[in-house]
Amino acid sequence: MENLIEIKNLHASINGKEILKGIDLVVKPGEVHAIMGPNGSGKSTLSAVLAGKENYEVTEGTVTFLGENLLEMSPEERSWAGLFLGFQYPIEIPGVTNVNFMKTAVNEHRKQKGLAPLTAAEYLKLMREKLAIVEMDPAFSSRGVNVGFSGGEKKRNEIFQMAMLDPKLAILDETDSGLDVDALRIVATGVNKLKRPDNATIVITHYQRLLDYIVPDIVHVLYKGKIIKTSGKELALEVETRGYDWLIKGE
Amino acid sequence: MENNYIYIPDKSLQDEVEFRCRVPLENTDQVFVVDGEGAHRGLHLGKGEVMPRMLQIIQVRSRQVEEDLSYSTDYVLEEGAQAKVLLCSHTLSMLDFVTHEDVNIKLGERAVLDMVVMQNEHNKSRHSSAFKVEMAEGAVLNLNIITLHGGGISNTVEVALNGKGGECSLNGLYLADGTQRVSTNVNIFHNVPECHSSQLFKGILDGESKTTFSGRIYVAKDAQKTEAYQANNNLLASRTAKAYTQPHLEIYADDVKCSHGATVGSLNEDELFYMRSRGIEKGEAKLLQQQAFAYAVLEKVSNEALRERLHSMVESRLRGEFSECANCSKHCC
Repeated sequence: MENLIEIKNLHASINGKEILKGIDLVVKPGEVHAIMGPNGSGKSTLSAVLAGKENYEVTEGTVTFLGENLLEMSPEERSWAGLFLGFQYPIEIPGVTNVNFMKTAVNEHRKQKGLAPLTAAEYLKLMREKLAIVEMDPAFSSRGVNVGFSGGEKKRNEIFQMAMLDPKLAILDETDSGLDVDALRIVATGVNKLKRPDNATIVITHYQRLLDYIVPDIVHVLYKGKIIKTSGKELALEVETRGYDWLIKGE
Repeated sequence: MENNYIYIPDKSLQDEVEFRCRVPLENTDQVFVVDGEGAHRGLHLGKGEVMPRMLQIIQVRSRQVEEDLSYSTDYVLEEGAQAKVLLCSHTLSMLDFVTHEDVNIKLGERAVLDMVVMQNEHNKSRHSSAFKVEMAEGAVLNLNIITLHGGGISNTVEVALNGKGGECSLNGLYLADGTQRVSTNVNIFHNVPECHSSQLFKGILDGESKTTFSGRIYVAKDAQKTEAYQANNNLLASRTAKAYTQPHLEIYADDVKCSHGATVGSLNEDELFYMRSRGIEKGEAKLLQQQAFAYAVLEKVSNEALRERLHSMVESRLRGEFSECANCSKHCC
């Protein structure tokens, strides 16, 4: 099957400091990948670079997304092409309501596909359906984007947005950070409900805990800007019990 | 409801200036003031008189002459009187001219005035408005000044709180681009105890526009239990726009709550990236941010239909379209 994303020898720096030092990664439709690694290994940099954050500079390598050069696309073009980044720290936007924010986003996606914007009733129906996936109260939609949301609500909102935009590849950056057990279960269940044979997920996480709920097919360990180990889901368990040291020493 | 304003009906005005307001707001009476004519009649409400409908005063500068125009309007609300006023200013003549307008407001005990000022003039027009307000005990003033367009707009607001328990809320939104200039000067005098005043002025600046804000809160020695707040926030959408802001607090009493804050900033990059990562195109994302910035001021407008209209006018203005009410017959900019 065709690769969803193909990352080859990706190097990236910020303010002249090299963070990613040659990443190779291939994700196929239907797969769930987990990227684990200690603090400062470059996990969040990788997701930011893939989503198109401007202050990172790609110095070497290529990223092909559905056959297109991802690195030449603007952040919005990446979204239209089917890439989604779940933020580790979702941004609060006071004054912009959730409903206005998501409606604008959904309709921009539709515009790119040559579809007419959703009517208010159509949007409402879709929104209610997707809110149910993450067990969110529709009342939240009239509030400012993430304003006054608890940590758990922010992460559920990320998964709600993912459900609304129906991406081909979702990269979930530390989605488990700051979540209690119940919120973790809701978020993970939401992600699992959205799983299909034609889409894929990259779960970036620090801990094994999330991977009890979202079971990965392939686990990678990132260290100092490089993937130092790739294996099946048992690798996550091994990291949980033995830590990263044995892998790092192997380096 | 009769009022003292000269009423120039749609029809007679049509031939002369081709201006009509085709979409009046509900429960609103419209009067036209063309080139200042009739402005002096003002509004006078006797004791306890409550205007059930909003009065929309549409000031139009239409004559093809460059000479300065000055006029003055008095609003007198006696004890317990209440009025809602929407004061619009437009220009139909494209000439380079100056308009001076004095708005004198006298509020008797417990009188309530809710006034929205909507300024939408052409690129060369210069308009200075001086609002002078005197408030007696328990009087309430809500004044919202929305400056959408104009070459050089100057608003001076002076409020004297002369009776206990007066409440004054002053808010303003100014949008400027090109080489437009907008200046705002506010002076609030808390002359007696137990009055409240709040100010929220926000500006969105693009192009090479310049705005100034100067706000002063004066609290007299005996004006204990005063509460007075002031905020001025400016959003720069270009590198060449300049916003100057100067807050002053002058407090002689010792039992007061007062604060002021002034900011000048640009669009938040993290918010922008977040929106773009969801597929919201950059220009649209910036627009959403600017609308969000303007939101707090427009929310101070109590009339819902008017508030909705102002939201959409601000949106079209920020989109770089000319902002006007739907179906407006005016083609001046």
